[in-house]
Amino acid sequence: MTVNDISRRRFIGQTAAGLGVVSLLGCSAHFSHWRFFTEEEAKLVEAITGQIIPADDDPGAIEAGVVFYIDKQLVGPLAAYQADYRRGLPLLQHTCRKMFGKTFLELKWEEQTTVLKALESGNVDQQEWGEQSPQRFFSLLRDHTMQGFYGSPRHGGNRNYISYKMLDLDMPYIIGQNRYRQS
Amino acid sequence: MKKPNQTTMILLAGALTLALLIAFGAFFTWWSLASPRKTCLSCHEMQTNYDNWADSYHRDINCKSCHGGALSNGWHSMLENGRRVVGHFSGNSRPELAMQEEQILRILPRCKGCHEAEYADWQAGGHSVTYADIYLDATHNHTEQPHNDCMRCHGMFFSGNIAEIVTPVNNQGPWRFVDAEKAEQPVIPCLACHHIHRPGQPAQAPDYAEPQMIASTRPARLVNVEFYVRSEKTHFAAADLPALKLWEGARPVQVSDDVRQRVCSQCHAPDAWHQAGTSDDRTPRGVHEGLSCLACHAPHKHETAQSCGNCHPALSNCGLDVKVMDTTFRDPASKNNIHFAKCADCHKDGRTSTRKAG
Repeated sequence: MTVNDISRRRFIGQTAAGLGVVSLLGCSAHFSHWRFFTEEEAKLVEAITGQIIPADDDPGAIEAGVVFYIDKQLVGPLAAYQADYRRGLPLLQHTCRKMFGKTFLELKWEEQTTVLKALESGNVDQQEWGEQSPQRFFSLLRDHTMQGFYGSPRHGGNRNYISYKMLDLDMPYIIGQNRYRQS
Repeated sequence: MKKPNQTTMILLAGALTLALLIAFGAFFTWWSLASPRKTCLSCHEMQTNYDNWADSYHRDINCKSCHGGALSNGWHSMLENGRRVVGHFSGNSRPELAMQEEQILRILPRCKGCHEAEYADWQAGGHSVTYADIYLDATHNHTEQPHNDCMRCHGMFFSGNIAEIVTPVNNQGPWRFVDAEKAEQPVIPCLACHHIHRPGQPAQAPDYAEPQMIASTRPARLVNVEFYVRSEKTHFAAADLPALKLWEGARPVQVSDDVRQRVCSQCHAPDAWHQAGTSDDRTPRGVHEGLSCLACHAPHKHETAQSCGNCHPALSNCGLDVKVMDTTFRDPASKNNIHFAKCADCHKDGRTSTRKAG
């Protein structure tokens, strides 16, 4: 069939259908909350941060939204660590399955702690981890959790200055101006 | 194939135009009425903003009512959107959607569309102050040169530094604006103290079927002020702002626990040592210690004209008609500042000479 064989009716019909499909595709696009993580990765990282800074009398890393900090920074200043997370998180899950036959999120609190302690001490199957160091990955998770918990909310974590309130720091500062006085 | 004649072509063109108009009309109607999830969100990457709005007390107001449409915000907006498209496909997207000051200011008349009385009160009050009022105040500038920190409370949505507002940045002057259009712009717009996407329920009419139950079943009014913290580029709910700790010498001052006052304290604040009365602190002390700013200052207009009558003369301890007393309420030059007046200001020996015994 050549271009000359296409009737006006068919041309209009196909154009309309094409526009409709394009519109529908655009309108049905799915957007995620996350910039770097998948939903599953985000849940996993959130649980890990909750282990590193758990809530007690004060809120912990989950309440402070630390996972949002890590997710945000991994597409910004911390982009160099993207590969560490992409490789490390599945390896962590693999370690969980090997140790307890479950994924990290399915583990009890104490079991999650055990897995993370194993990572921190390097007491995992080194062959599975290969070039990726479990100690280094744990250190990375801990550092990023601390940064997200104690850093400024503008970087994505420390929701509503949760950690500053815990430390009894008044933020934002209540401080006036060096106002002159007319006498 | 037979060549169609001119009449057929005109009829076809007319029919096609009509069909396009009907299709466009139907699409426009759908676009205007459909959930922003299916419209705005299909292009703008702002899931978090959408979620906040969908949980907010403004959820019944569609995006367009406040933000305008794709074409109504001018070339700047289209250019910004174009940059985002390029950024999206080049993998260099900027996830944060933050409005520029000019977009914030463009929203103000749209606030007025629903909150006309509040807008009029704001215009009549001190918080409608403009860039010219603040940054070209020669008396102030000769004493203290314009500084970036001024924008913490005056021009908090301006994204540049002080040198991009006023020049020269010194205490000699004469001062002028880098962009003359700034002169008449407000430095404390509605969004300085209100977060439009604040969580909450839209206002609802009470159930008139049982009028006697209206008062007892009315939901508690939530604190609806927040403060835009320039350094963090985000709003903080009043309850999340720190409560002011204030001292008069070594004596801690009792500060109202009204969380709304925390917003006031962010700008009307004491010095770094939190000594009462320093810098721009107006926290009530003396006979009014413990009162909230909002006990006397009406929202938006901040007038106090009718507020004394809320408590006096019923609460007067000395039998005086406080409305005719020499205070800053009547005369700004009075030494009896309404914020700090103490019993001892008048009763030096601790005794009253105005109240008759018996």
